[in-house]
Formats: sequence, structure tokens, C-alpha cells
Amino acid sequence: MGKYIAKRLLHLAGILIAVSFLTFLLMYLAPGDAAVKKLNAQGIAVSQEVLDRTRADMGLDRPFLVQYGDWAWKVLRGDLGASFKDGTSVAGKLGKAMGYTALLALGSLALALLVSLPLALLTALKKDTATDYILRFFSFVANSLPNFLISVLLMYFLCVRTRLLPVVADKSLKGLLLPAAALSIPMIGRFLRQFRAEILEQLGKSYVAGACTRGVKGRYILFRNVLHNASISILTIVGLSVGTLFGGSVVIETIFRWPGLGKLAMDAITNRDYPVIQGFVLFSAAVYVLVNLVTDIAYHWIDPRVRQE
Amino acid sequence: MKRKSWIALALVLCLMLCLAACGEKNPPAPTEAPGTAPTQAPGTAAPAPTEAPAPTEAPAPAGEPKILKLAESFAYASLDAHKDWNGWYTSIYGLTETLFKVGDDLSVQPLLAQKAEAEGNTWTITLDPKAAFSNGKALTADMVARNLRRIGEVNERFADMKDYVITAIDEHTLTITTPDVYPTLLTDKLCNSAFGILDLDGSADLDNAPVCTGPFVVKSFEPEGTVEVAKNEAYWNGSVKLDGVVFYYMNDDDSKLMAMQSGEIDGYTSVTAAAKEIFSADPDRYVLTVIPATRLQFYVLNENRLSENVRKAVNLTVDNDAIAAFLGGTVSPAVGPFGASAPYGQVTKPGVDTAAAKAALEADGYTLNADGMYEKGGKVLTLNICFYYARSLDSIALLMQEQLKAIGVASTLTGVEDADSTYRVTGDYDIALYCMIADQAGDPYYAINALFRQNSDWALGGFRSDECEALIDRLQSETDMTERSRLANQIVQIAIDDNAFGFVGLFNKTTVAAPGVVNIGERSPFDFYAVGADTDMP
Repeated sequence: MGKYIAKRLLHLAGILIAVSFLTFLLMYLAPGDAAVKKLNAQGIAVSQEVLDRTRADMGLDRPFLVQYGDWAWKVLRGDLGASFKDGTSVAGKLGKAMGYTALLALGSLALALLVSLPLALLTALKKDTATDYILRFFSFVANSLPNFLISVLLMYFLCVRTRLLPVVADKSLKGLLLPAAALSIPMIGRFLRQFRAEILEQLGKSYVAGACTRGVKGRYILFRNVLHNASISILTIVGLSVGTLFGGSVVIETIFRWPGLGKLAMDAITNRDYPVIQGFVLFSAAVYVLVNLVTDIAYHWIDPRVRQE
Repeated sequence: MKRKSWIALALVLCLMLCLAACGEKNPPAPTEAPGTAPTQAPGTAAPAPTEAPAPTEAPAPAGEPKILKLAESFAYASLDAHKDWNGWYTSIYGLTETLFKVGDDLSVQPLLAQKAEAEGNTWTITLDPKAAFSNGKALTADMVARNLRRIGEVNERFADMKDYVITAIDEHTLTITTPDVYPTLLTDKLCNSAFGILDLDGSADLDNAPVCTGPFVVKSFEPEGTVEVAKNEAYWNGSVKLDGVVFYYMNDDDSKLMAMQSGEIDGYTSVTAAAKEIFSADPDRYVLTVIPATRLQFYVLNENRLSENVRKAVNLTVDNDAIAAFLGGTVSPAVGPFGASAPYGQVTKPGVDTAAAKAALEADGYTLNADGMYEKGGKVLTLNICFYYARSLDSIALLMQEQLKAIGVASTLTGVEDADSTYRVTGDYDIALYCMIADQAGDPYYAINALFRQNSDWALGGFRSDECEALIDRLQSETDMTERSRLANQIVQIAIDDNAFGFVGLFNKTTVAAPGVVNIGERSPFDFYAVGADTDMP
């Protein structure tokens, strides 16, 4: 196991180098640069002389490989640099945004699992009944609705019409409720269908029929056997979603004033703030790899067959 | 079992209906009190300012602190007014003040300084002896001089300040000597929000809690987030009416609209056309103020590619009134780059005349083909309209395409994310749409220099006029304001008559406020003025 983890971590280093190089290259090739974005921020242009001087101060007039090499060398020494936009530390910006994104991601994931797992069990057990059709229809609709529409609808009904929650939310649990709900609704729709399919597959297997024949209680079969055996697939689905959630959601974060990673990354791209973009890319790649690693380790723990392999 | 499911569904639907129905269509206004004064435009060829009737409603209970809540579309990581664009926001928050300010009528007015006199390339500034920081320390000429030098050091946009000689003569007088005669020092620099004066010795943390001279002081500051300010109890320039203001960073238009509807905020500016329609429908709860502002939408006609007659045909076809109407009152039709009420905005242009446009094309040898499109030598006249996706330029490009098509001119649309690194610097366009703040602080030189100079940002558009260049040189050093306006009008008129540009619209500044909320910058055409000592709420 230790060898396996070490090997995966070695892969992570390669992935980080490749991803950071590609991102740096794409940003370099994209039209516009941080100096223009910074100086012309409010629609007031500056002279070419000022622009050139600022570019030189930012190091943007150097060749691509020199710029990348300089950045990579600093990163190796643990320095992610400073934001081109406001000069603040990239690590500080990422750390702050990461905290908010983690809170939102975990909140919405918990909400999605709490709702989708019981409903998936219900639809699987009530296959082809009205309950099943209704929940499948809900899952289809929830999965199809774009995030911004869900957010605006939730805000309209819960904040403007009924005033149950505030539009101007703070970073408290109450403030988390609405963005977490908006983020989790499409996830519930997706999980519901995927979990249902997995549970149905398990329910159709011969060991379930055998257990029933032997007189084992239905509840025991469902929770001890079916759910246990479905857990590998469920874990994979959840693991993939965690990676996406930790990348942040631009739309949700913008609408609900949630200062997470998605908004940070979007602002950085708009401002061509290379150090922040690079920091975000490194972080996201690491999260994806690490979440997948944790998921694989969990397989080992749950499934003895994987352990034997 | 099936029956139970249907009953459960019916219950859920009933619950949802109840939830939706129990909300009021028009919940009570967040702040209720005697109404505001009607809105007023400093005027361009704009639509009449929108007004709301003043409702008579009860003020908030006595003794309760008056805390105004506003939404802002941008937020910065620091409150150091001298760096980046932070000064716009420290000015909006009522923290910093400049030596001079630009009034709602675009005139330069004294603020921390009493007067400024120019002699050659030296300006003598006399400070208001009453001016003081929120910590009670008097404002001195030496502190102002240090502030001005620091701005040149920390802000790339004002690096030319390093060449200025700034000297404190006595406690309240300082001189600024520039390398050349600089008639627009007040409007370009001393009114600029980046020139907010800070107590450089008394501020322990310039980024988070600067000590300034404004009517409010920092209460709490969340970088790129919510900012709370409290009344400056020691304000030097009169009493402050509010106890505090909270500025929420909200850059999503729907969120701002709904926060206003739910009564969680008392106002915001940059109201969209859709939100404006909603607020207009309920004048008892929302006071809308619409005034022409200084952000200009325009296009450049590439003289290197388009003949004089084709450029003339385009300008005779593009209907600014129709565009302004389509944009739902968010812009006012423009004639030149400046508002028609400004003394330097007195220019004229021919009205829309599609028959004359067609005649101009035909005079150039174009004929209508079987498809109803103009062509010459078998080649259909097709114009490349470049735009970027911001400031409604995409909508304008589409409307222009439709209007040109109606007279038989084909066009293709090229949308980019960033004009400053694409068509503006390559010159690869027939028509280039752009948006800029034309009037930074009540003087025409900035826009004229940026648009019409032979080495300007738009020189690749091919506009070259020796007469214009000579007039711009004169404008650069002219100190008499009347003569400056006359020169500016002459320069702009040359460019209009040459059909080098098309000035489409000037963005309106649209502000919504709860009844009784007044003086939140709703009458200033500039975005960097908001709350002040006279800002009030019920």
C-alpha cells in the first residue's frame, strides 16, 4: 500500500509540472496581459509608455521560458508569488478562498448525500411505481436546470417572497444554506439516477434472491449487503464530484457573494493574473489527484477483492 | 401504496403553493420616510431624468442608529487610496477626500484646498485651514506634498509625478512645478480619486485602516468583501448625518435586484435595463435617478480601408436614438464624445438619412445587386464590425448590422474578449466599437488626446489632420477655460465632419434608492462619488 501511495504521489509531481506548463503557455498565448488589465481597469486608458514600464516591472516583457522558469523556481522554494492585480500573496488568497470553497463543497455534498441516498433506495424499491416516476422526473429536471436559474429561483422564493433567508448572506451556517442548496440540487438529480441504477443492479443479483429464500430480513439485505456492495460505485461517483466541487463554482459564488476558489479563479483569468491562475491550477490538480488517491485507498478498505489484487 | 404516493405528492404541491402565496407581492420598503427630491440631470441630449413621487412614510424609530446599506459592484483588496484603483472606492466609502472635486455640473470645486493659482508651469495650492484628519490632526502642506510624492512612487498611472517639484511653502501653502505648462493639473490629478489625502504618519495600516479626512472612518474592512464605515465624529467640514454605512460587494445584477426587493439594501447604482423596468413599476417603494454620465460608446471608421463616402453612409445610417431605445434607457444618444450640457460638448452632426447614405454609396460607384446589397466590380460591400463583449457593445454591433443591412450594406461581426490586445492594436477592422470614460473630471483633453492625436490609441484608424494636431497642441497648454472649450469643440467637429468616428451613446448613471435615501452620488455623473456628510436616510 505504501509503495502504491508513493507511486501515485510521484505521478502527482508529473501532473503538476505538465498542467502548470500548459496553463502558463495558454495564458501567454491568450491576447491581453495583466498590465493592460490592471491599468485600464476602469475604462481609462494609459499611455503606451506607462504600459511598457509596467510590463517591464511585472516581468511580462521577458521570454516565455524565462517567465515560466522564474515562476517554477519560486514555487519549488515554496513561494507562489504575489497577485499582479493587487500585490497580495497568492498563497494567502488561495488559503482564504479554499476555506470557503471547502465549507461550501462539504455542505452541499452532505446535503446531496442526505437527500439522494434515501431517495435512491426508495425509487429502487418502488421501481416502476408512481413514486419512482415522480422521483425520476425530479432527478431529470434537477439535473437539467442550470445553476444560475436554480440560484435565482431559490433566492426569489426563499428570500424575496417568503423572506425565510437573506439575500445578503454572511459566511455563517445560515448564509451557507442557500448556496449549498443551489449547488446540491443538480447533484441530487445526478446522484439519484446513478445511485438508483447501482442499487437496482445489486438488487437483481442472485445473492439477494438467495438471501430472501433463506428468510433473511429485507432491511438486513438492503443495508448490510446491497448498500455495502453498491458502495464502491457510490464512492467513485462521490469522489469525482468532490474534485469538481473543490474547484469552486463561479456562478454560485458570484450570485451568493461567496468568496471561494471559483470566483477567485474567474477574476484572475479576467485580469490575466498569472500567479493566481497558476496557484489555482496547481491546487486543483493536486486536489483531483489526492481525492482519487483517497478514493482508491477507500476501495482497499471496503472491498477485500481489491485488497487481494 | 400508489394512493399514498399521490397523497404525498399532493401535500408537497400544496406546501409549495402555500410558500409561494404567503410571500407578499410588494413587501414593505426597507426604509420608509418622507420622499426624496426629484432627480435631475446635468444634461446631455438625454432622456428626461426619471422621477419618483415622494411618498410620505414614517421614519425609523428615534434613537436607532442610521446605518445605510448599499451594494457595490467592485471591491478591492486594500484601502490605500494611492495604489491601483483603490481611490475610487475609498472615495465612494466616504473615507478619502481630494484637494479639489468635480461637481455634479462638471465644474472644479474646492474641497481640502481653498484655491489653486497657476503661473507658468508652477501651481500654488492653498489649503483650507480648517481641514483635518479624523484623528484631529490638522492637514498641513507638508503632509499633502508627501502624499503627492508618494502617489508618483506607488501608482504606475501617475509615475510622471516623479518629475514634479512639490514644495511646502508654509503650513497651508504648497507649490507644484511641472516640467511643462500643465493647465489640467486640477482635473487630471488633484480631483482624481487616487489623490485622496492620507495621514501617512497617523495610519498604522494604510491597507486596512487608513486615517483620512472624509466624513466616515473605517469600522471594518474585509478585503474584496464587505466594508463598514462609521461617522467621523471629528469631521472638519460640517456634521455627518448618518451613523454609518455598510457596503456589500455584490457584482451579480440579479442578487442586487433581489436584495433591494427584499429590503436588505437601501440602494445601488448601475441598475440594469431589466431591473429599471421592475423598479419603475413600483415608484412608491423605489426612487430611480437617471442622469447622463461620462462613459462613451463609440466606433472608429477605418480610413485606411473605407472611402469617405462609405464612412459618410455608415454615419448617416447608424441610428443612435434607436440604439438607445433598444438599450432600455441605459444610455443616452451621443453627438460627440462629451455631454451636450458641457461647454466642450457643443458639436453637431447630420441626422439619420438613409436616402443620403445610399446616394453617398452610389456616388462612390456602388450599385444594388439582385439581393438588394451594394456591390462594386462584382464584389459585395461587406464591413467587418469588431467589438468586445462588454458595455452593450455586442448589442450595438448587432443593431448596426441590422441598420446597415436595411440600406443594403452587408457586414460581418467579429467579437473578441479583449479589444486592447486585438483589433485596437492591429488596426484590423472596418468599424471598431469601443467604450471609454471620455470625461474623467470635467475637462476634454484626455479624450481628445486619446482619440484624435496622430499617435493616439486609435491612430491605426487612419484619422490624420494637421489642423486637428495643431489645435490639440494649443489645447494642451491653454489655461483659459472658455478658450479650452472652444478649441475642444473645434477639434471634435473636425473629426465628426471627417466621418472618422461615430459617437453612439453616453451611458446613463442609474441609481435606485429606497424612499428618503438621498445624496448617495445619484446626481454625480462620476462613479467615484457616493456617500458624504449630507447623505441621509429616514
